[in-house]
Amino acid sequence: MEGMEQWKDQLEQLKIQLEPWKIQLEQWLHQAIEYLDQIPPIQLYAAIAVLFISTLLLFSIRLFKRTKSNTIVLTGLSGSGKTVLFYVLRDGSSHQGTVTSMEPNEGTFVLNSESNKKGKIKSVHLVDVPGHSRLRPKLDEFLPQAAGIVFVVDAVEFLPSCPSVSEYLYDILTKASVVKKKIPVLICCNKSDKVTAHTKEFIRKQIEKEIEKLRASRSAISAADISNDFTLGVSGEVFSFTQCRNAVTVADASGLKGEVAQVEQFIREHVKP
Amino acid sequence: MLEQLLIFTRGGLILWTCKELGNALKGSPIDTLIRSCLLEERSGAASYNYDAPGASYTLKWTFHNELGLVFVAVYQRILHLLYVDDLLALVRREFSEIYDPKRTVYNDFDETFRQLRMEAEARAEELKKSKQMVKPVNNSKKQGQAQKAGFDKGNKKREGSSAGGGGDENDEGKGRKLENGHSNGNIFEIDEPRMTAAVNGKENTSSNFSAFDVSKLQKRTKGGKKTDTVVNKGSKVDPKKKVTKKNRVWDDAPPETKLDFTDPVDGNGNENIEVVPASQGESMMDVEEIISSDSEGEEDDNVQKDSKPEATKKGWFSSMFQSIAGKANLEKGDLEPALKALKDRLMTKNVAEEIAEKLCESVAASLEGKKLASFTRVSSTVQAAMEEALVRILTPRRSIDILRDVHAAKEQRKPYVVVFVGVNGVGKSTNLAKVAYWLLQHNVSVMMAACDTFRSGAVEQLRTHARRLQIPIFEKGYEKDPAIVAKEAIQEATRNGSDVVLVDTAGRMQDNEPLMRALSKLIYLNNPDLVLFVGEALVGNDAVDQLSKFNQKLADLSTSSTPRLIDGILLTKFDTIDDKVGAALSMVYISGAPVMFVGCGQSYTDLKKLNVKSIVKTLLK
Repeated sequence: MEGMEQWKDQLEQLKIQLEPWKIQLEQWLHQAIEYLDQIPPIQLYAAIAVLFISTLLLFSIRLFKRTKSNTIVLTGLSGSGKTVLFYVLRDGSSHQGTVTSMEPNEGTFVLNSESNKKGKIKSVHLVDVPGHSRLRPKLDEFLPQAAGIVFVVDAVEFLPSCPSVSEYLYDILTKASVVKKKIPVLICCNKSDKVTAHTKEFIRKQIEKEIEKLRASRSAISAADISNDFTLGVSGEVFSFTQCRNAVTVADASGLKGEVAQVEQFIREHVKP
Repeated sequence: MLEQLLIFTRGGLILWTCKELGNALKGSPIDTLIRSCLLEERSGAASYNYDAPGASYTLKWTFHNELGLVFVAVYQRILHLLYVDDLLALVRREFSEIYDPKRTVYNDFDETFRQLRMEAEARAEELKKSKQMVKPVNNSKKQGQAQKAGFDKGNKKREGSSAGGGGDENDEGKGRKLENGHSNGNIFEIDEPRMTAAVNGKENTSSNFSAFDVSKLQKRTKGGKKTDTVVNKGSKVDPKKKVTKKNRVWDDAPPETKLDFTDPVDGNGNENIEVVPASQGESMMDVEEIISSDSEGEEDDNVQKDSKPEATKKGWFSSMFQSIAGKANLEKGDLEPALKALKDRLMTKNVAEEIAEKLCESVAASLEGKKLASFTRVSSTVQAAMEEALVRILTPRRSIDILRDVHAAKEQRKPYVVVFVGVNGVGKSTNLAKVAYWLLQHNVSVMMAACDTFRSGAVEQLRTHARRLQIPIFEKGYEKDPAIVAKEAIQEATRNGSDVVLVDTAGRMQDNEPLMRALSKLIYLNNPDLVLFVGEALVGNDAVDQLSKFNQKLADLSTSSTPRLIDGILLTKFDTIDDKVGAALSMVYISGAPVMFVGCGQSYTDLKKLNVKSIVKTLLK
């Protein structure tokens, strides 16, 4: 009980100490109100309106940016020609050739073929993610902001690499960030200028077949540990890309010859000028 | 002869290649270098050897981390080019000055490169000559030419004419260049540096002659053991040497004075120890060693001189200012304490020492010269880089989806054969049973093959597992050749339509030659779809030895030209090690094979997949 009383005493003392501060504060408040009364009310309202509108504008800009991404991700196996495609889209030539990438190439620019056009053109943020399997985790950094994915396939050396191509594509198509946002995917059959290159229809069919096999084995494995976030296609039916929730299209291209019209078209479809 | 020199960005765009060297490289050495060396965190190594049909190259590289540039030089392995390291450093310095991220064509660098190359070659030549200074000066020029001729095989004529002299050389050189293409382009260049080298040599003799001469005399009397330290030493050492030399010559080398001579040299400390082994080797190697140690030594000294007073004088204020503004460039010295701490931490997590060392070197190579971002410390930067490296290593390079491969084999009406190999007592049979159980759950018909015909009770152990899992077992008792048993088992599986054959082998130590030979035969004869190395997570430094020797023996003892190596790793006893998960890293790094399964308990269900993220987190905790 004694302790309680002591405590009360202390509280009283504190209140006494705080008293002058209280008076001071009240004085200031009065002063402020007087000052406000002097200002014409229109000015006051204008100030409030300006504050309100500017905050609204800032928010809307952020929201706008988030919804309208201009990022296009170039991905695919190592050696399929992503870096060449990146530089062809940016500069119109592959310069002196490329070697295996160790880091992603990034750039925000107006596509080379459109650089002569007049008027305002929205620039594209293009990312070329290395294809080496050790560097695949890097892809996850760019997928959430992607407006479209260009999956580059080597049309010449397609058959030997078909299983790994399909597996990588399967992984991408079942990622949560891709499925939920319905990010469109373009399968770009690169090196189509070569005589021995396979046609895009053939490549599409082969990949569909391979994914059909993967569906069986992956659905079995998911119970064990590998966690693909979604399953592909409709169960009981043979898989085809039309069953995907996001649009999957196929296109031809030749990076070295600079024939990338279909890729540019894809980019422009999803990043509006 | 230098085959090619490339400058490219880490993003993969070639910025500049040496056009006059324009030899088409056989195969794709650059891509192979990046894929199997730089991306595997082996960039701390000094050089990389590339073999392709009809060509064997050595590649050397250097990074400019701040600008994200890579410089690679390619040359024929049989030529030990002395100036490559030097040249790469020069090229890096010059190129970083003109580099602009927006520019992609650097044609004007051709001229600079030509000069740099002359410089580097001249310096190499000079050093080589300085070795031969003992002989009369007149000879040295001819000698230099003779050695040159060794370099430019089959171009002796050219050499002869260049000795003739001045004005004609250039014309002739140009003419030849037109006739013969690339190879002569190089020779034309070489003429001039050699001339300058010769001149330099003469000039130097006046000052260096006595020193070199003495060192040579020493060499003769001592039998070439302690030489050339003179070249490396500063003026401080020289006087001592001179004294010793005089004594030697005049004393006719009695054994007691010989001991006297060696003592002062030894007293000079580490540098001697570094140089001596090099000087025992081939002379060219010798020169190279001296160049590198000289220049590095100077740089290191400067760094230390610069950094130490700074740290002490400016104190906390400057360090705080640095942390806010971001430090200019990371030097090796800045990284060392953080890397050492990291290495120790990795080793406490049971990572093999050798591997922790290599990883740290690689991380250092990737950070050196980089700018430190604002509000970061060196240690956190190093840790982030290491984390990235670890994720990269542990991410599987090949597909680890066994079930898909099983289905693919099923379509071809072949059984999918898995061979379990490993040292004694790591749990091959137990985990074989776990894998069988996992496969059974996914509606795959499994058969076991008891090819451990060596240890008593092995067949019975496997039979017990088979009975409990109710799967067929193929056994032929003991004292049979395991390779034959496996072959018969596969035939049997084909007959009765089993999808997977799991082959159990006897445990063997990696040094046991006869048993390793038997294993090699088993693998060669049956050509399994998957060779699974079973290793226990408890192992420390021995993991490296086990895996590398298994791989080595499988490669050496195989009779085929394309030997089968280990495809995957099964890590057992993972539940017993708490946070000491280093063995996973050691094994993956040394073999490049992914960890396919992790055994983590006593029951059939205790088989998991490796979680890369959690492993990396544990390793760096």
